[in-house]
Amino acid sequence: MAALLLRHVGRHCLRAHLGPQLCVRNWSLPMAMSICHRGTGVALSAGVSLFGLSALVLPGNFESYLELVKSLSLGPALIHTAKFALVFPLMYHTWNGIRHLMWDLGKGLKIPQLYQSGVLVLVLTVLTSAGLAAM
Amino acid sequence: MACIWRLSVLCSAQGGRVLLRTPVVRPAHVSAFLQDRPTPGWCGTQHIHLSPSRHSGSKAASLHWTGERVVSVLLLGLLPAAYLNPSSAMDYSLAAVLTLHSHWGLGQVATDYVQASALQKAAKAGILALSALTFAGLCYFNYHDVGICKAVAMLWKL
Repeated sequence: MAALLLRHVGRHCLRAHLGPQLCVRNWSLPMAMSICHRGTGVALSAGVSLFGLSALVLPGNFESYLELVKSLSLGPALIHTAKFALVFPLMYHTWNGIRHLMWDLGKGLKIPQLYQSGVLVLVLTVLTSAGLAAM
Repeated sequence: MACIWRLSVLCSAQGGRVLLRTPVVRPAHVSAFLQDRPTPGWCGTQHIHLSPSRHSGSKAASLHWTGERVVSVLLLGLLPAAYLNPSSAMDYSLAAVLTLHSHWGLGQVATDYVQASALQKAAKAGILALSALTFAGLCYFNYHDVGICKAVAMLWKL
């Protein structure tokens, strides 16, 4: 079903004269996961840089900002969701990173193995993100 | 220290011909080591010895690649270590390895997507500035504030 959805997107792409990468008609799991690895990497970098730069520029200390968030009295469901949203890209990038390192060792490069390891990474990502968010 | 390249030739007659008969100007010390030109359809390997002075660019790239993997593995190990053993030393190690990993990662993105050489130099300079500032910020946080490990613990207790 995901493949059909993406093909639909591809058709619109050609009409809208967008970049050719987006118009590749047959997206595959390894391709999508590779783009997500880069996406999560850039996003995590941005987060770390934002944190580092904030430490240099913003007034007050870390605790005062935590107190500010506490004073908003956000519901536990929202806090749990926010934690999940924070930890999900980190877990995805970590597990897929291990997959990349396995490839660098020359292991798991056959096509069926690519799909199997890809699904394993996705499952591990969801499980570990849920686990960490619950802590 | 010489690098040895193994050239594996495809076993099909077509493949062998295409790979070996491309006219190429080879430096003398390379030709001296190459075997006689094989007949079409020959299957096997050739050993080419290269001196570092001619291929220092690829040596540097190879070292960079290895460095990237080493830092990745290091960071992978630091994450559970920081959870189990939070300390000031861990904070600074995490800051260093994290910024280096992200610096090199962003560098790969710039190499892939920024084509023109002047624009790429500017992008790389920008990334260097960002990484330097990020590292400075994280060290400042580690020194003047609670530190990375404690901060994550405090955030998670929310």
